[in-house]
Amino acid sequence: MVRLYLPNDTSSRAAGAARLAEAWQERTGIELIRTSARGAFSLEPMVERDMPEGRMAWFNVTPDDLPQILAGRGGTPVNEIPFLRGQTRVTFANFGVTQPLSLDEYRAHGGLKGLEAARSQSPEAIIEEIRISRLRGRGGAAFPVWHKWQVARETEADRRYVVANADEGDAGTYCDRMVMEGEPFRLIEGMLICARAIGADTGYIYCRQEYPAAAHTLRAAIQKAEEADLLQSHGHRLRLEVVVGAGSYVVGEETALLESLEGRRGVVQARPPYPAEAGLYGKPTIVSNVLTFATVSTILARGGEWYSSMGTERSRGTVVLQIGGRVKQPGLVEIPFGATLAEVLERFGGGMAPGSHLKAVQVGGPLGSLFPVSKLGIQICYDAFAKAGAILGHGGIVVFDHETDMVELARHYTVFTAEESCGKCTPCRVGSLRSREILERIQAGRGTADDLALLADLGETMKTASLCAFGGRAPYPVLTAIEHFGEEFRRLTK
Amino acid sequence: MDGKSAVSLEVVLDRCRHGPGQQPNILQTLLAVQEALGHVPLNMVGEIARGLEVTEADVAGVLSYYPDLRTHLTGRHLIRICMGESCVANHCSRILRELRDQLRVDVGETTPGNRFTLEKVYCVGNCAVSPTVIIDDDLYGRMIPSQVASLLDQYR
Repeated sequence: MVRLYLPNDTSSRAAGAARLAEAWQERTGIELIRTSARGAFSLEPMVERDMPEGRMAWFNVTPDDLPQILAGRGGTPVNEIPFLRGQTRVTFANFGVTQPLSLDEYRAHGGLKGLEAARSQSPEAIIEEIRISRLRGRGGAAFPVWHKWQVARETEADRRYVVANADEGDAGTYCDRMVMEGEPFRLIEGMLICARAIGADTGYIYCRQEYPAAAHTLRAAIQKAEEADLLQSHGHRLRLEVVVGAGSYVVGEETALLESLEGRRGVVQARPPYPAEAGLYGKPTIVSNVLTFATVSTILARGGEWYSSMGTERSRGTVVLQIGGRVKQPGLVEIPFGATLAEVLERFGGGMAPGSHLKAVQVGGPLGSLFPVSKLGIQICYDAFAKAGAILGHGGIVVFDHETDMVELARHYTVFTAEESCGKCTPCRVGSLRSREILERIQAGRGTADDLALLADLGETMKTASLCAFGGRAPYPVLTAIEHFGEEFRRLTK
Repeated sequence: MDGKSAVSLEVVLDRCRHGPGQQPNILQTLLAVQEALGHVPLNMVGEIARGLEVTEADVAGVLSYYPDLRTHLTGRHLIRICMGESCVANHCSRILRELRDQLRVDVGETTPGNRFTLEKVYCVGNCAVSPTVIIDDDLYGRMIPSQVASLLDQYR
């Protein structure tokens, strides 16, 4: 019996893993182990097996490749795959190795060590460890994690909640999906540590409906954690539940997410009070991104000092980037903060897809700024991006090629923001729609130079007067498109 | 309203009335209704509101806010084309054009005979294997326009 490893992650399945599993299910002599994915998606479907020289991988496998794999011919040692070799895998260290729903394998690969460490410490000591790590929220806002926890702990209340924001709406990002599908116990462990630190007895994972496999895997993992008696917080049982949403990008904003969790319209609320003081049902609530919780367990296991030794002065630890668009090697990259965007695209992206030339790069989801080729020297850390008026967001990097029509792309962004604006504040609700109309006027050949000035003016109003980051960031992709590719816009105006 | 849906609604409301929070959870109730009936008929808003002891405006407000809550049934198969930026960068507009040509409907419409409804979605996290088309529960990545026709043939 030859044991073969095949990822069961959504993107691996879409790349052909599902077809392989189906084709090989009747084959005798092989045992298919369905694992998480390594994130080297250009090589998927990727099949691995243990050989005397270590784990070997076969890339872009078709059903007919089985004899070759069984004969052990033509494989590549996993630790020699260039895309993976240059990475510093911390949160994603076990990806591609373990089975998502095996608690034993999770434990065997270092899982639950953070929780054990946390349980031997006081809540104050846990928060201190997170402070030392200098971890900042990975959802996009980059707020110091320890500070939120401290506020929630110190706010007088009879109940506290811990909520995982699994509404990974930023297009071009998928690391949360990979955590939930690939190592769900890691998220659960991080939430348990947080619950102990702040004194919460209930946790929710708000998962977007576009991720059915993630919700399914999480529910199964919660069941297993329950059976293993893991769901405990300061001596009580921690109730942990997956709640699935119903679309809506803005629900990823924390106050809108809590509104949605309570079953109302997912509309943004003015802050303060911040959720850490008054969140779900008015109680202190920690709302953190999936990746933030997934990082916490390793910090507790290996120490805040160790984590903060990586990265740049004010961006400590590793950054999880997700490369997509027209590159040769799209996939998940975890490296310390500090490399430049150009280095990342070259070292990991592997250049452009055949026949394509790089035109623009967007970082940080649909509200992120566009970078032309001349601006790719920017360092990947919070400070450099803030200084450039850009955002790292949730780590999405989308590469556009020479065939991209920048006016149409700008219009695409305004269609998105006009549809997804929650409608609570006027600058965003009206501004996004007017921006769309102006761009459509320009596309129809009826625009003037004044329209471009109007678009810029409208953008400034939205930046300064919107209630939340959605309206505040919505103009950036449009305005950076005009800034760097203005000729394409001017060509269409009178 | 036929007898079957009336019974289902009662069961759903009964299950949702004692939700996890202090107040009735309107969104989860509507999702449960949609799960049972395939959509949330507008003429049920009153009944749902009374069942949850909230106003009709509360229910209608939630129903109109969320893109995935439907007030009409879809065709037998729901096609969603991803319009996230990685798909856009990989020229999903060409896939969309092919879908429109093949189906002769636009986004948001259902083909005559109720075979397909075409919708768009903003990112399903399949960015590294884009562009993406989802039909019912099946997700297809690395789509090229010439694959569209044979893909549609698999769904009658």
